Amino acid sequence: MNKTININLGGIYFHIDEMAYEKLRRYLNAINASLSNDPYGKDEIIADIEARISELLSEKIKDDRQVVNEQHIDEIIKVMGQPEDYTFDEELFNDPKYSYQSTSATKKLFRDGDDKILGGVSSGLGHYFGIDAIWVRIFWLILVFGAGFGVLAYIIFWILVPEAKTTAEKLQMRGEAVNLSNIERKIKEEFNDLGDRINATGERIKNADYSRAKSGAQDIIDTLGKVLATFFMVVGKLIGILIIIIASSVIIGLIVGGFSLSTIGFLGIGNEFAQFPPFFYKTTVPIWLLVTFVFTAVAIPFIFLFMLGIRILSNNVKSMGKTFKLTLVGLWIVAILGLIFSGIEYSSKVAYDGFNTKNHDLLWTSTDTLNIKMIGDDQYADTKTMRKRHGFEIVVDNGVEKLYSSKIKLDIAKSDTNMAYIKIRKEAEGDTRSNANQFAEQIEYKFSLTDSNLQLDGYFLSNLENMYQNQEVELTLYLPVNSIIYLDKSTKTYLYNVDNVDDIYDDDMVRHHFKMTATGLECLDCSEIIKNKDDDELNMKIDVNGIDIRVNENGKKSRVKVGENILLNNKHWILTI
Amino acid sequence: MNIENTKAQMRKGVLEYCILSVLQHEDAYTTEILSGLKDAKMLVVEGTVYPLLTRLKNAGLLNYRWEESTSGPPRKYYGLTESGKIFLKELDATWAELNEAVTLITNKKSN
Repeated sequence: MNKTININLGGIYFHIDEMAYEKLRRYLNAINASLSNDPYGKDEIIADIEARISELLSEKIKDDRQVVNEQHIDEIIKVMGQPEDYTFDEELFNDPKYSYQSTSATKKLFRDGDDKILGGVSSGLGHYFGIDAIWVRIFWLILVFGAGFGVLAYIIFWILVPEAKTTAEKLQMRGEAVNLSNIERKIKEEFNDLGDRINATGERIKNADYSRAKSGAQDIIDTLGKVLATFFMVVGKLIGILIIIIASSVIIGLIVGGFSLSTIGFLGIGNEFAQFPPFFYKTTVPIWLLVTFVFTAVAIPFIFLFMLGIRILSNNVKSMGKTFKLTLVGLWIVAILGLIFSGIEYSSKVAYDGFNTKNHDLLWTSTDTLNIKMIGDDQYADTKTMRKRHGFEIVVDNGVEKLYSSKIKLDIAKSDTNMAYIKIRKEAEGDTRSNANQFAEQIEYKFSLTDSNLQLDGYFLSNLENMYQNQEVELTLYLPVNSIIYLDKSTKTYLYNVDNVDDIYDDDMVRHHFKMTATGLECLDCSEIIKNKDDDELNMKIDVNGIDIRVNENGKKSRVKVGENILLNNKHWILTI
Repeated sequence: MNIENTKAQMRKGVLEYCILSVLQHEDAYTTEILSGLKDAKMLVVEGTVYPLLTRLKNAGLLNYRWEESTSGPPRKYYGLTESGKIFLKELDATWAELNEAVTLITNKKSN
């Protein structure tokens, strides 16, 4: 009595008994394995073969109720041929120079489950490189004790390298061609091996010898290995999921960002929305292309990472085609080269420094205090927020888009003459010296003096095309001795290393009166606390704003400030320094 | 040197040419191609032909269409493409040359 199975072979329905089914299945699997070096047409060839087998079978099986038996299958195999008959010799088709490759079977890396201490990684590697596993094991030990990362590397191999389970895989692992005679030999070997093991078990029972100790230990290690393998598989899958999440979110982000930026760049709108790196504006490469380059350069590694995550999650995922991979690598290189080109081009645009200097006399009743203010223009932009952000904005001046910047430095120095004057030094960078000078000259900067109020613009304008030429304005106010100035609060962020007798910091100088003396600028109404005299000194100020302690020891300065927000309650605070 | 191997190699070498020749005049489905080759004792086992057909098709020398059959599932009918015809013509010439050469050489030997 035999069980029968219903199968659909090439679109025809057959009853087949179990033995015959097994035989047919093995036969088709063997063909499948022998065609493994022909991955492109494999599925199609198998389908054709199945169709032909079903045709042959239906010639033999006239009655629907008749069952296909082993003899039928044997006859069919006789007609169709052994699995090795299916491998058409490659050298007839391929380039002669490649022919030698096909004559030797390609080796694949598998873990060898038959010869293992932990996971069979070492023996698998041994087969792969054609050396005895013991050398690989010694190498692992050196790595583990020498560097430590051997453990990790081993685990990664354990997770990533599949174990050779089928006979075909075991043959591939040893680099033997997968044909029927080899498979047969291998199965025989395994059978003998099994016999040996059974014998060994018998012996083991008889006497507690080395083999017993070894297999006992190996059993434990096997179990431990399984537990560890499961654990690391779970961890591995989690890592895989993490990689997928990271990679996919980066890719999605890049697609959304890249698309919108490209659109903006392509349509030529929205400089207000998008802040590109400087060289985006300065190269001959259009912005949308640059965005594409950046996108490609960043996205492609993440695509590979994504695929890696998928592969970790499941080994059955087909690898990306070689062409696809190479295309991606090629695109990536193009993108990187494009970015390098733009970068070089940009740096050549700012290779030279240029400047433009003008002096303007300042006339006011010298007995009066000169009030100095820096005025931003509210109609253009909010100077305060701008200074914190990019240092420039694009503004519309009389219908023309202009660059609005507040990169201005203000210094105060002693005049050599009796006249007060202001030196305005405009700076810019350019691809040539004369262009840089020209860019500098194109900076529009104004100031005004009414009575004794000096109003310096807190911004300057320049042509939009000159964006990212690092324009800057340096103001130096030259004062004759005995003139008195008052620094308005608005000058605070512009003051830059202003020398003064008391070494007061720039930030502390505002809202104070200063007198130009023969030795330099001297504060008239500053508290001692903000002065930084060179001799040893301890300054302490306690007021409604809190406690401010400054220590100046042999030129080393430090400051401790306790703000007004700290409540002292009734407790005593003891400060030890 | 295995005599069986050598025989198989010789057969396989010209099998491609024979398949194209079978399809020279009219399209045929797999079984017809096979029986044509088997009748001429060109083929010992059928297995060899399937990978070859797929390869010839992938190389653009053959194409196929599905045709309904009265006695079972649809059949794959193979036919020569234009480049297949050109290919076959060249093989015809080569075969003629080869045949001549081999005859000449083997005759000389026997004389």
